Amino acid sequence: MEDYFVQLKHITKTFPGIVANDDVSIDIKKGEIYALLGENGAGKSTLMSILFGLYEPDGGQIFIKGKEVSITSPLKANKLNIGMVHQHFKLVSDQTIAENIILGAEPMKKKWGFIKSIDIDRANKEVAELSKRYNLEVNPTDIIKDIPVSTRQRVEILKMLYRNAELLIFDEPTAVLAPQEINSLLEIIKSLRDNGKTIILITHKLDEIKQVADRCAILCKGKLIDILDVKKASTQQMANLMVGREIELEEVREEVKKGKVVLEVENLSYKDKDKVSKISDVSFKIYEGEVLSIAGVSGNGQVEIADAICNMIRATSGTIKLNGKSIDHMNIRERAEAGIAYIPEDRQNVGLILDFPLYENLILKEYFREPYCSKHGILNFNEFKKQSNELIENFDIRSGKGCETTVRSMSGGNQQKAIVAREIALNSSLIIFVQPTRGLDVGAIDNIHNKINELRKQGKAILLISLELDEIMALSDTILVLYSGKVQTIEDAKNLSKNQVGEYMMGVHNNA
Amino acid sequence: MNSIINDSMAFALPLFIIAIGGIYCEGSGVINLALEGLLGVGAFFGGLSFAMISTQLGTTTNSMIYLSLIFSMIGGGLFAILYALLAIRFKANQVISGVVINMLSVSLTAFLANQLNYSLFGQASNKFMLAVFPRVTVPFLNKVPVIGAFFNETYVFEYIIIAIALIMWFVLYKTPYGMSVRACGDNPQAVATAGRDVNKIRFSAVIISGIMAGIGGMCFAYSISTNFSPSIYVGYGYLAIAAYIFGNYKIGQTLLACLIFGFARTFGYLIVQALALPSTYSDLALTFPYIVTLVLLIFFSKNFTAPKGLGEVYEKSKR
Repeated sequence: MEDYFVQLKHITKTFPGIVANDDVSIDIKKGEIYALLGENGAGKSTLMSILFGLYEPDGGQIFIKGKEVSITSPLKANKLNIGMVHQHFKLVSDQTIAENIILGAEPMKKKWGFIKSIDIDRANKEVAELSKRYNLEVNPTDIIKDIPVSTRQRVEILKMLYRNAELLIFDEPTAVLAPQEINSLLEIIKSLRDNGKTIILITHKLDEIKQVADRCAILCKGKLIDILDVKKASTQQMANLMVGREIELEEVREEVKKGKVVLEVENLSYKDKDKVSKISDVSFKIYEGEVLSIAGVSGNGQVEIADAICNMIRATSGTIKLNGKSIDHMNIRERAEAGIAYIPEDRQNVGLILDFPLYENLILKEYFREPYCSKHGILNFNEFKKQSNELIENFDIRSGKGCETTVRSMSGGNQQKAIVAREIALNSSLIIFVQPTRGLDVGAIDNIHNKINELRKQGKAILLISLELDEIMALSDTILVLYSGKVQTIEDAKNLSKNQVGEYMMGVHNNA
Repeated sequence: MNSIINDSMAFALPLFIIAIGGIYCEGSGVINLALEGLLGVGAFFGGLSFAMISTQLGTTTNSMIYLSLIFSMIGGGLFAILYALLAIRFKANQVISGVVINMLSVSLTAFLANQLNYSLFGQASNKFMLAVFPRVTVPFLNKVPVIGAFFNETYVFEYIIIAIALIMWFVLYKTPYGMSVRACGDNPQAVATAGRDVNKIRFSAVIISGIMAGIGGMCFAYSISTNFSPSIYVGYGYLAIAAYIFGNYKIGQTLLACLIFGFARTFGYLIVQALALPSTYSDLALTFPYIVTLVLLIFFSKNFTAPKGLGEVYEKSKR
């Protein structure tokens, strides 16, 4: 008999309107990297939340090291040496790294023989040692809110290791990372396995699975489709199984003739409230039927450019023209009305009102206009719903209760589809996509990429800002590379290789 | 000069202990506007216990005074359970239920004070008479210039409050429980995944705020009017809220804010005296700390950072 760490048998879990897991059985060997692959909403996270004690299954059994267990709380999971890095980090923002790591398992000391208190010095020392042992560099006394996302993820990993976790569950760990950070995370995951840990990796990125995983279970709509040996399976095979249909990984681009100038940005600069220059002297034009991408490592000013164009932030200097007219004096709504659609980076906080129903979110940019609002200022919800149902149909937005669904309860991919649907419906001449596929699965990414190509054919001007180099290479006509707020190059996409773009992004390209 | 410091401290310290309760409660992520009601109910219980025991025995002793402090803590704590049930167990809107608790306690204590006075003591009054809280002078220290004034003829409860405040500080910043309380206010999910029960922690923090408000309210009753009456509700609970917001939810800084309010109040009275205004104008002096609050709000509002998870109901399955 093989040495299994976890065996899940016939796990079933339903939520109102959705069967999240339908009779799923998987066995995970000790010391392997086991990938869970599936689209958003396929039930991967639910399955793992059950294993981690956040949800209780409606049916099925869990065996840990051959013994049947019932995991009713994360505390119990911890005791069984199961740890989880959640997609949304569970960190206390105003406490230090060490305090976050020891929360719930604090080392204690005694003062004068009877007063017990947290031994913070010992905690700092232990965390420093742990971070050295596993090569996860952190400074134990840094406050969480001051450290970057990749470091926060390391804190989450350390939190598990501090509790002697033997099974580590990673829930879409690369969704929040920049490309070069992803590689180092995958290295960390591999070295954890080499240290004898068992790892479950939830993801929808096929290349990551190819890179690190030993075996891979594929879920689709709550059902277990197949379990593959990663070395023997092809990427194409995994993609098809996951989506349940044929996926074209290579997209064929049609030639589209450029029309007239839609957006003209000249000498745009922006300094933040601390007078730090975020973008300086950026100029570019986007034509009808053109996709212009801004490439760059996260935080080099890309998002600020998009925000300045929409007036989410006020540019310090420079002019912006839309269809030949200056829009500098316009406020956010006037600019949107003039023809700018915006798909923001932070879809949950900027793009949607999570606790509103889908039909209100879908009309968020037009509710003040007829037919959604009468001349006398009364909202007409029937019109909201009519338009929403049309968008839901056209954009294949899936949700538990149709247009009445609260957006918070929808999966990330469907939330993004809702924003894209709303913005495209505005029929604007310029559409700005900021990180449109971040955290989405292959099926949803495919969907968004097709939409971008379609819009390009319709003669829209598209500004695409992305951290995914592959996405930029696949979709762009023109690539602008930004490094610490300055334009490194603007070039026809055909004349640039992925490597060259990468060099410009790091600011090390030699023009000579 | 001495009396300025003495009066200010006698006001600032009860305010401080109430604010500490608020720091626990809001630090754990539960909005607490109910402090006003909690301090009143605490004082009611303390006052009632003192009146009952002194009538029963026919004398008043210092130990009865200290006993009434304990009863005020019990009263405040019990009443806080009601708020905790509303806000945590039943997930009611925290702002509204806090205000409701305040209104409920005003009318409830007024009604009960009247009824109990009549049925127990045969008096038609809504007051419970208290004794004068014992004062002590610390030798030598009282000779130190300026600060010495604080050690001269000080109410004993001021030392009690300082002792409790030190314990509360230690618990909040040095123990696993305190760390969990603060973590609950920032990111309850983090606490849940660390294996602790968020709602239990919050429940206990609300009760602690009731206990602290109870003792603070009782001290106000002793120092300001030497009786319990519904006139205890003059907004000190809200002032305590202002104090810990100015103090940025940190115990040390909150003490500073309480001292500012304490001195502002004393100066208000001094101004009325100095201008030789008629006694009806003394009400004007009472507005002084609130005006100070308003002015401070204008200048410092930018710098306040409330706990990130404040007012957020904890639900397991929230994305």
